Parts: sequence; structure tokens; C-alpha cells
Amino acid sequence: MELLQNLALGFGGAVSPINLLFCLFGCLIGTLIGVLPGIGPIATIAMLLPITFGLSPLGALIMLAGIYYGAQYGGSTTAILLKLPGESSSVVTCIDGYEMAQKGRAGAALTIAAVGSFFAGTVGTLLIAGFAPILASFAEKFRSPEYFSLMLFGLIAAVVLAQGSIIKAIGMIVLGLLLGLTGTESQSGTARFTFGVPELYDGIDFVPLAMGLFGFAEIMTNLDRRGRDRATAAPVGGMMPTREEIRRSIPAILRGTFIGSLLGILPGGGAVLSAFAAYTLEKKIAKDPSIFGRGAVEGVAAPESANNAGAQTSFIPLLTLGIPSTPVMALMMGAMTIQGIAPGSAILTERPELFWGMIASMWVGNLMLVIINLPLIGIWIKLLQVPYRLLFPCILVLCCVGAYSISSSTFLVMMMAGFALLGYVFAKIGCEGAPFLLGFVLGPLMEENFRRSMVLSFGDPVIFVQRPISLTILLAAVALILLIVIPQFRSTREVAFQDP
Amino acid sequence: MIRVKNPQDFWSGALFIAFGAIALWVGRNYNMGSIVRMGPGYLPRFLSAALVAIGLFLAVRGVAINGPSIQPSLYRPQIFILLAIVVFGLMIERFGLAPAVLVTTVFAALASDEIQWKETTVLAVGMSITSVVLFIYLLGQTMEKWTWGF
Repeated sequence: MELLQNLALGFGGAVSPINLLFCLFGCLIGTLIGVLPGIGPIATIAMLLPITFGLSPLGALIMLAGIYYGAQYGGSTTAILLKLPGESSSVVTCIDGYEMAQKGRAGAALTIAAVGSFFAGTVGTLLIAGFAPILASFAEKFRSPEYFSLMLFGLIAAVVLAQGSIIKAIGMIVLGLLLGLTGTESQSGTARFTFGVPELYDGIDFVPLAMGLFGFAEIMTNLDRRGRDRATAAPVGGMMPTREEIRRSIPAILRGTFIGSLLGILPGGGAVLSAFAAYTLEKKIAKDPSIFGRGAVEGVAAPESANNAGAQTSFIPLLTLGIPSTPVMALMMGAMTIQGIAPGSAILTERPELFWGMIASMWVGNLMLVIINLPLIGIWIKLLQVPYRLLFPCILVLCCVGAYSISSSTFLVMMMAGFALLGYVFAKIGCEGAPFLLGFVLGPLMEENFRRSMVLSFGDPVIFVQRPISLTILLAAVALILLIVIPQFRSTREVAFQDP
Repeated sequence: MIRVKNPQDFWSGALFIAFGAIALWVGRNYNMGSIVRMGPGYLPRFLSAALVAIGLFLAVRGVAINGPSIQPSLYRPQIFILLAIVVFGLMIERFGLAPAVLVTTVFAALASDEIQWKETTVLAVGMSITSVVLFIYLLGQTMEKWTWGF
């Protein structure tokens, strides 16, 4: 009953006209970037972060969250109609979604994707509402050693779950950790890696880093592949799935939701991994795996449900433990910090209206998205016709003005150019940006918690294995490392991330 | 002459070594402390050394084992995108928002070889007006609309 009371409190905050407007705005922007290939949620949230400075904390978070899960809906449209992943989490939807479109079933595929996403979003939201308070009260027992162990676990998970080379992912994390240490050291006041630049005394600003590394690098990579991304949208056809399609997609949606909710909680998991894993599972358990790649409805229903479930549950670690598990969550954490909210279990006890307001808004947002994506599908298809040559200059300008407006500093703009180049080089040499960003955010937190643990134990490192919770987390981390060593898992991991 | 068999690995390694070495050099005077009482230099040095080690491993592996080559760049997009950001940085304080956005949009549009001048002019003017309205009037940011001062 407490849950109902809390949800009532949440809906009270979320359905105020102004917050509904922010929610709608976030969902619209999210769908837009989801539909348009070549713009990801990370860059968009970074771009809009400066705009949220002036909003109320709840309004800002509602809008930014809407962009993230909105992108999961929009991504399927482009995947199905054009065989282009509008969003990286829609990569697998391209395979069978586009085949369905070729058979004139595009409308049905879109409906199943949207309904599956809505179901998954509802389950994900309920999971947050149900489990977050339990986890948060559990997290109140956490002290520095537990936090340190947990962050270590997070980084290890990010390596295991990263795409591509493991050793490169480790390198990127270490580089991120190192860069995260830039700025004035809290204990001694030593300025580290600042090169005497005043703008760096508080550390490298997160927004220009994310915009450069993800937004601009993406633009430069896209422009290298000119010409390839021009395709005409398949006709939508009837929106109503056949009875047979419905019968086959219901279990796939359920399985996708389950996998997505589970993997979304894991650090480094989130939407992309969820979709991959759900598709792999469907293929494994199908009676006739050869139907995949030829327009299997399960191949649309499962990954689209999974990516939305994953997008929702990836909020859980941030809201309960204050630890961002994906780059998007790191940006959400940045938004909270700017608004003066400390992410973590304290949100629930000190700002319940904020916590429950956000959760209520997620459900409202998911409902809006079904409407935005199904009856209004024609508008989004029109938008797909906007050529990229007009799109990217607008993104670039918005990023530049946004970076400058953070602290009216030209230095941040120049730094962003530097990170743009770095991000492009990373993409060229096959280094993933996500582990880097996680390391960057967690670096200073880990150093601080390690130091506090040492103070707590009078300098005895055994403290990490003496405390039961910390020990459990560390053992889980060891288990993850062992997973990489097992050859069978390694090959599964490679298959799961293979370009389908 | 050593032949690089996996350029992606090799150059990742080189990049990691470079970053690690620079960090070691810049941080050479930070106080180390000990594991028990970590000084400001403890973690940076540990991480820099680890980065160099990972870099060496990757570089050696890149020479030894075959792997994917690096996709060629067009250079035009990269040059103009970076130039556009730098131009914005140079112009925003001297000339104000509207002129800075105008010129930045043109530089950005030049990154694509499909640029059409009429269209770009309209886009640049439109973006100038939009950013002034959005950032200065709607969001109340303190920026000059235009100025001639230096």
C-alpha cells in the first residue's frame, strides 16, 4: 500500500501541466534523435544539459529521461523502414524488421515494436518502483569500502560487457580514470594535470567531453561514409498485426522484457547489450532458427522490448547507489549534480517527490511514446527525408553554444574540439568510448572512497574482504573475471557482438 | 623495417603509451604517499604506469598478430568540423553570438562535399536567429548578440 501512496505522490508531481510538457518535449526530442540515424542519445542529452540549468530539478530530469527512452522507440522506425539503426540499440531490429517491411508488414512490425516497448517500459518502471526502495535501504548500510568494491565491480562488468577487444576496453577505462583525476586534489589541494589552466581546477567539464567524444566523433565518422546512407523508406502498409503475428510476438516480448530488465541493471549493460542478448536468445530457442533474417516477428518483438526495459532499469543503480552504470546515466548524474541533488539512496529519503515524480513520469512518457510513434508515424517518415548535410551543422552549432554557455568560457569550446578529434581517433582504431566515460566519472569517486576506507581501517587494506557486503561484491567481480577466461563464454561473447 | 600487422591495435597501443608517458612526466612531482596514506600522486602514477603497460602489450600484439586495418579518412569532414568549433571559440567573445553562429554554420556545412550555397546561406541565417532567440531571449544566457569590441 505504501507503494500506491508513493506512486500517488509521484503522479501528483509528474502530471502537473508544466512537467507533462517537459515529458512530452523530452519524448519528442528522443523520438526525433531515435529516428534520425547518426545522432545518439549521449550527444543529445549532453547538448541539452545546459538548457536544463534553468528548469526545476524534477522538470529537468523528466525531460532528460524522456530523451533516453524516447530514443529507444524512435530507433525502431528507422531500423524497420530503412534498415538503418536510428539508434545503436536498434541494430538487431534492422535484420528482421526490414525483412518484414519488404514483405509489406512494416506497419505490423512498427506496432509490435511500439507495443512491446510500452509493455517493457511499464514493467521496467514497476521494477524501479518496487525494487529501488529496497535496494536504497540496503544501500544505507554501505560505507566507503562497499562503494569502492561496487565501483570496481562496475568497471570490471563494463570491460566484460564491452564490445570488441577486452584489453582495449581496460586501456580505455584506465585512461578515463586518469583523466577523471584532473583538477584540484581534495586532500592536499595539489592541482593535478591542470597545466595552470583555471578552467581545469575543478576537473574536466563533463559536457564538452561527452559532446566531443560522442557527438562530434559521430558526425565525423558519418561524413566519412557519405553516400552509403541514402535509402528510401519502405511503404508502411497496414498497422494491424495478424493473429499469427500476435501469437508469436507475445512470448518474445515477455522474454525480451525479462532479459532487458536484468541486463539493464548491470553496469555497462543498458539498452544496447539487452537488445543483442534478446535477439541471440530468440534465435537459440526457436524451433526453426532459419526464419531469423527472413522477417521473423520474434526478431523485432524481443530486442525492441529488451532495449526499452534495459533503458528503464539502468536508472536503478543511479537512483539507489548513486553510481552511473552507462554513459547516459553518467550524464543524468551530471544533471542531478548541477541541480544540487546528490545521486543515491538519499534521493529517496530526502527528495521522495523527486524520485517518485520521475518514476511516474516514465510511465506517462511511455504512454505518450506509443501515441507519438504509432498514429504520428507519417511525420517521422517525412523527417527522415531531411538530408544529413543540413542536420549536422545545426547539431554542431547547438553543441558549441551549449559548451560555451556552461561557464562563458572559450576554453571549454576549444577543449571540446580536442575531445572531438580524440573521439574520432578512438573510433578509427576500434576503442570504445563507453568504458572511457565510465572510468572518467568513477575515477575521483573511487579515489575518495579508497582513501576513506583506509582511514576507517587505520590503513589495513584487508577491510575490503572483512566486511561481508564488500566481500560479496568483490567475489562477484572475481567471478566476472573468471567468465572472460572461460573459452566458452568468450566465444559466446564474440558471437553476441558480431555484426549480424 | 617492422611491418604492422594490426594497425588498430598498434596505434591504440601507441596512443595509450603516449598518454601514460605524458601523465607520468607531468605528474612527476606529485607527492606519492603510501597505499595507506595515499598522496595526490599515488593513483595517477599507478594508472599512468598501467596505461603504458597496456599500451606496450597492444603495440607488440599489433606488430605480431594480424588484424583489421584502419578505414581511410576523407580528411575534409574532420578538418572543417574541427575548424568550425575553433572558429566559434575565436568569434563568440569578439563578435557576439549571431556572427559567430553564422560563420560557424558555414564552416560546418563545408565539411560535407554535398554543400549547396543557397541552402547553406538560408541555414546559417536561420541558425543565427534561432540561437539568439533560444539562448539569449528564452534561456536568458548572458551573451552578446553582436559586438565589434576586441
